[in-house]
Amino acid sequence: MERLDFGGVTNAEGETRRCYGAGMADGSSREVVGREALAYIDALYRLARYLTRRDADAEDLVQETYARALAAAGRFTPGTNLKAWLFRILRNRFVSEYRRRRATPLVDAADLVETAAAHDEEWLRDDVELDRLRKVVGAEIEAALLTLTEDARTVILLDIEELSEADMAAVLDCPVGTVKSRLARARAALRRKLRDYAR
Amino acid sequence: MDCRDARAALPDAHRRRLDAAHGAELSAHLAGCPDCAHADAVERALTDALTHRLPTRPASAALRERLARTAATPPPRVWRRALVPLATAALALAVTVPAVVYERGVAARATRTAGMVSEAVADHLRVVQAQRPLEVESGGVHQVRPWFEGRLDFSPVVPFAGDATVPLRGGALAYFVDRKAAAFVYALRLHTVTLFVFRPDGLPWPTRDLQRVGGHDVYPASSRGFTVLLWQANGLGYALVSDADPREVLEIAARFSPAA
Repeated sequence: MERLDFGGVTNAEGETRRCYGAGMADGSSREVVGREALAYIDALYRLARYLTRRDADAEDLVQETYARALAAAGRFTPGTNLKAWLFRILRNRFVSEYRRRRATPLVDAADLVETAAAHDEEWLRDDVELDRLRKVVGAEIEAALLTLTEDARTVILLDIEELSEADMAAVLDCPVGTVKSRLARARAALRRKLRDYAR
Repeated sequence: MDCRDARAALPDAHRRRLDAAHGAELSAHLAGCPDCAHADAVERALTDALTHRLPTRPASAALRERLARTAATPPPRVWRRALVPLATAALALAVTVPAVVYERGVAARATRTAGMVSEAVADHLRVVQAQRPLEVESGGVHQVRPWFEGRLDFSPVVPFAGDATVPLRGGALAYFVDRKAAAFVYALRLHTVTLFVFRPDGLPWPTRDLQRVGGHDVYPASSRGFTVLLWQANGLGYALVSDADPREVLEIAARFSPAA
């Protein structure tokens, strides 16, 4: 069951929430959400592309996300983060539909398990490897990112989009503390992958 | 603040979410702890790689058009109930959405183009600051160009072989944004002038503020005191970077792109 509400995120001012519509999109909320959401299409497409790995699937996923956002526009709370709300719809849609259709890729959950702390420390002290990390090119970063699990990829991409930890927690439907640890482990896993590429 | 607290605070520091007191505490710790300072550098390098070098993959124009059409199509149930207001809204959207999409598209492209300019300067600095000599020393462009054969998946076309004023010093393999590039290094008195040649596909090439230089439309920009000129020709992308006087850099660009 896909959830479209965005509970758990409060606006910065702590104001009482005012919805565009009472559980159903009226014309103005649909118009406002439709117009504002267009500004985030590139960001949505990027996440979709890295999740689905295929242009056609990514476009379908973004289009479905957009259509669902319009249909649920009345449930969006002004003052909260529309971009994060859209990401949440996209991710839920991906989890409920695309992930089911595809073989779960990748390396198992090794990138979300802290197994290489000692190696990380070694890496952290290695000036040569740091220099290589500074020079690693886009294609290598992309390849390394795609070897991570979907959850690891997602949290890294949401972080690039500069979502707050609270917003990431709402997108991923988990506590803020989990976001912190998941992001730290995902970045450590990505560093290990990039270290391998740099060799 | 101990090492554990410092490591935990790094992400917030990088996102500028630390308050002044904690920021000062972290800075003091990093100043006295080489391991944490190194961890800080690694995390910054990773963030920089993800933010600036991960391919951006923008949505296609076709997808944008489809979404704009979706936005302009009102839901059927509401359509029956409020025909006139929604028809008006749809009409307004049909007029405003393309403008909004266009303006935002232009703004987003400008930001990404600024990233290209910044990347060109960074790549130029890597060439200038490289301790090792150029990978191929020049005896002329006819020695330098063939050196790239087998090292790139394209043949870098360089119409200007250098002359007495702007001699070609040599070439090197380089990277531009997310792809391999050929770097041709010229000298202008004591200035270094670097020409990057690369595959142009998928980059946010500017479509506004172009200036006709020689035979090509060139995008002039400056960043951190460097002049950067971007253009496309021969199915390739070109970025010319130097800290020389901007007018001189434009004159050099004209030699790379002679008028037809």
